[in-house]
Amino acid sequence: MIQIGLALKLLWRDWRSGELTLLLVSLIIAISTVTTITLFVDRLQQALLLESSSFLAADVVISSSDPIRPELLEHAAKLGLEQAETLSFLSMVFSSDRAQFSSVKAVDDNYPLRGKLIVSDEPFVGGGIADKGPEPGRVWLESRLFPSLDLKQGELLDVGVSSLTASRVLIKEPDRGGGFDATGPRVLMNLEDVAGTGVVQPGSRLTYRYLFAGAPELIEDFSAWVKPKLDENSRLIGVKQGTQGIGNALDRAERFLLLGGLLGVILAGVAIALSAQRYSLRHYDHVAILKTLGASPVAVDSLFSIIFLVLGTVATLIGTLLGYVFQEAAVTILSPYIPVTLPQPTFAPILLGMVTGFVCLLSFALPPLVKLRGIEPIRVIRRDLEGGATSNLLSYSAAIIGTLGLMWWYSKNIELTLMIFAGATCALAVLALISMTLLQSGRVLGIQAGSAWRLALGGMQRRAKENTLQIMVFGLAIMLLLILFLVRTALLDDWQAQIPEDAPNHFAINIAPEDVEPIETLMRARNLVPQPVYPMIRGRISLINGDAASERDDQRRRQQGNDERRGPGSNSGRNLTWSGTLPIDNTLVSGEWWTEDYSGEPLVSIEEDLAQTNDLKVGDALVFNIQGRELPARIASIRTVSWDNMKPNFYIIFSPGALADFPSTFMTSFHLDKEQKLLLNELIREFPTMTVIEVDAVIEQIQIIISQVTLAVELVLVLIMVSGAMVLLASIQASMDERFKQHAILRTLGASRKLVLGSLLIEFCALGAMAGLLATFGSELIVYGLETQIFELEYKLNPEIWLLGPLVGFVLIGCLGTIATRKVVNTPPNIVLRESV
Amino acid sequence: MSEVPVIENSANEVMVKAVDLCKVVSTSEGQLTILKGINLEIKKSESVAIVGASGSGKTTVLSLLAGLDNPTQGEIFLGGDEITAMDEEQRAHTRGNKVGFVFQTFQLLSSLTALENVMLPAELKKDSEAEQKALRLLQRVGLDHRSHHYPRQLSGGEQQRVAIARAFASSASILFADEPTGNLDSKTGAKIIDLIFELNAEFGTTLVLVTHDSRLADRCDRAIHIASGVIVTGEEIE
Repeated sequence: MIQIGLALKLLWRDWRSGELTLLLVSLIIAISTVTTITLFVDRLQQALLLESSSFLAADVVISSSDPIRPELLEHAAKLGLEQAETLSFLSMVFSSDRAQFSSVKAVDDNYPLRGKLIVSDEPFVGGGIADKGPEPGRVWLESRLFPSLDLKQGELLDVGVSSLTASRVLIKEPDRGGGFDATGPRVLMNLEDVAGTGVVQPGSRLTYRYLFAGAPELIEDFSAWVKPKLDENSRLIGVKQGTQGIGNALDRAERFLLLGGLLGVILAGVAIALSAQRYSLRHYDHVAILKTLGASPVAVDSLFSIIFLVLGTVATLIGTLLGYVFQEAAVTILSPYIPVTLPQPTFAPILLGMVTGFVCLLSFALPPLVKLRGIEPIRVIRRDLEGGATSNLLSYSAAIIGTLGLMWWYSKNIELTLMIFAGATCALAVLALISMTLLQSGRVLGIQAGSAWRLALGGMQRRAKENTLQIMVFGLAIMLLLILFLVRTALLDDWQAQIPEDAPNHFAINIAPEDVEPIETLMRARNLVPQPVYPMIRGRISLINGDAASERDDQRRRQQGNDERRGPGSNSGRNLTWSGTLPIDNTLVSGEWWTEDYSGEPLVSIEEDLAQTNDLKVGDALVFNIQGRELPARIASIRTVSWDNMKPNFYIIFSPGALADFPSTFMTSFHLDKEQKLLLNELIREFPTMTVIEVDAVIEQIQIIISQVTLAVELVLVLIMVSGAMVLLASIQASMDERFKQHAILRTLGASRKLVLGSLLIEFCALGAMAGLLATFGSELIVYGLETQIFELEYKLNPEIWLLGPLVGFVLIGCLGTIATRKVVNTPPNIVLRESV
Repeated sequence: MSEVPVIENSANEVMVKAVDLCKVVSTSEGQLTILKGINLEIKKSESVAIVGASGSGKTTVLSLLAGLDNPTQGEIFLGGDEITAMDEEQRAHTRGNKVGFVFQTFQLLSSLTALENVMLPAELKKDSEAEQKALRLLQRVGLDHRSHHYPRQLSGGEQQRVAIARAFASSASILFADEPTGNLDSKTGAKIIDLIFELNAEFGTTLVLVTHDSRLADRCDRAIHIASGVIVTGEEIE
């Protein structure tokens, strides 16, 4: 065993002479990139989860039409979870001379567990944070209730038989939520006052909500424990289920950030492998000399193992520290744009960064080093000898296992890991094949072209093997960057399309048929863009092909248990509508849509999830129970519905005329800016039967979350681009020695600086353009797989990158290559030749 | 370590012995025989020049005798130990303890200073006095004032003097030199020849060198002529 001292001395001398710089920098960049991304993503995920939790005012909620069993609450208390309780109901509320149908929510003193209540002393004005809801004897009212009830702050409001003081204006509540239970303006009161109102009677329509908050693992434990214990009137709502509209965005963002991390690991690995390869190559002679001086293969092994261990430790420490500093800097710079305060990071990402460093070192840097042990001492006399006969299998397996392992560890998603890995491997194989062919075909061109061209193309062909490898590395780096860029663009487009700026943020329901036209006229007069008006009738499916729907639901419930993912039941009461045209954002998956003027037997179109859950197919005969009467109808089509789009969406749509015999009300949606909110009072006063559901607060919150996620996505893209540039530099550096020697000889023979520089520029630009073209091809293939399989987006061909890819390669590699190899022409040839003797 | 045959130790101790040495290499045009049936003996403190035309196989003989390469056939004994029966680990040990080298291309580690290059063999043997020994040797070759210079900052002659100091730093009993003046002008070459022979006499080492340089060959006790892979003469030089 060789002394550690000697190894350290050699390490220090290598460092001093600059031999280790690139390898150390690659390692540090790998580790700091990974640490920065994971730390930032960790903090952002925590923040997003908190922000999303505020949609629920809790981490998890049990929503029930009856009080739940006390032992469930006791168990939560035993686990140490924070708890709060709310009770919601619809009721008329009265001022001295006016009445208003309102959505009343009674809350205890712990509410809200997550998010903030914003209250003010004046209607429609900003306001400040309140830690808890109103005291007993007081109520807080939503702004527009004050004018509509002609009420002043401090006056009394009657709820049931109680008179409560309207003490403050409620500007915002975290779990205001969308959905059809949030009808009517809000009255917030204390839970203790509910009994006194006399409103809660047997048979009242009430919603009890039990709120829980705590550490993620406790919430997980509690959710798993409580789920099977809930009866059919209760529902467990987690953050993702509770935030319709952002659940998908969050999922996709998480996958994107993981994808970014994965690509970062691959790029870092390639950079390390390249610089380790160069380090190893430059040490062939050193090892041969050491061996002639008596160093045995074991001594060489231990010597370089120690060097690499120390290197890994130093790189890991510096990389982790830098990663921490980078993400702190990123958070500081971005804090004005991040609407929430980011929680402190956890230790896990730091550990991940450290482990990444060592795994990268082992799988990418060790194989070239192991080659050193096999260097023959005879190399001191015959320099043409290659490295030792260490099996390439070892090198490749180490790299493959390391890459796959890290990718899997990062993504916790074997499907994503294998898809990227297989895609990249196939693309690399194709890259290799095509670049070999391209390099061969350049020969004919080269002979006729001018001097710099001939030199460049000649050089490219002479080093066909090395250049193929270089094109593969360039191509891989550009490909990964393009993949990330394309997926990011598709995601952002999708999010922006989901909730455009002027998306409807209010629903109006219970519109009487005779009010439809006057309402449309009023909206137009107020410059509101009218959206389609849909008739709406409550009803349920009673028979499916002659079987009772309720029995089928019971049977399914028995089979599947109380699983929140069990899907919509067939026998549940639903809002039915009819339409001549297929609503925008709906897509047919089977069957056919009827003609606009269809007037035959009643047909229905069923939403895909409802159809799948209840095994409904095109052609099935259904019987509906609507207002106590039966209506048979045949399923004509199954369609998907975009539930995230915040527009009126229906599980069941009838053909025109099918529901003509049933009295119906109508619904529509519209967009209202904040400053137009008072218009609601006018609408409600004029059309008293109409109910308005306000989802503007929810949409605003979704937009905030999406902007945060977008920011994270952009940041990851930038970090990965830095890693990509590092790979390109490492790859260019790897070919430096050879270029140095060749061009020194040329310059000795009289070639001008201009000629040598020109040939370098041509060579790098040509390599870059080829790599860019091949990368474009590979990235389109992989992006197709990713978008359709992982991100559930619609794939679109990206014609712009067919120009962008080769151009990026041409410019980036051309510039980086020429700048990095400028030394080749600036170093006097005698020095190069003397050193390479 | 496996058992190796030891030859008789006498006043006329044989330091280097080759028995029926053959070297065949594979090329794209088939098998190429570089050496066939080389037999030789070199005694302790003897200086021997291996001479011959380019491509005659003289450098191959040197690399085989020094244990840098393996023969296709035959046995080699170095200071009594059969290195052809050793594995690479054992050969490295023998090289470290018994052999010193001087090469045509100097073969200094570019990242190390002159002093550090000379210290290297002793450091590999975990010798705690590596630095003092190296400094003494640098002084002996007249380069103590350049001890902290890197090879690229030294002239060819200076680099070769560092290499000579390094060769003697391992307290080797046999010094192998491959064209030690091949990269130097005649004046510098002459100085290097003087230095090698002075140190060789001082340390009592056995010297085996490959050369084209007749002045250098003439300074040796005898020359072994090789042509087309066989020894044509092995004469004593008057």
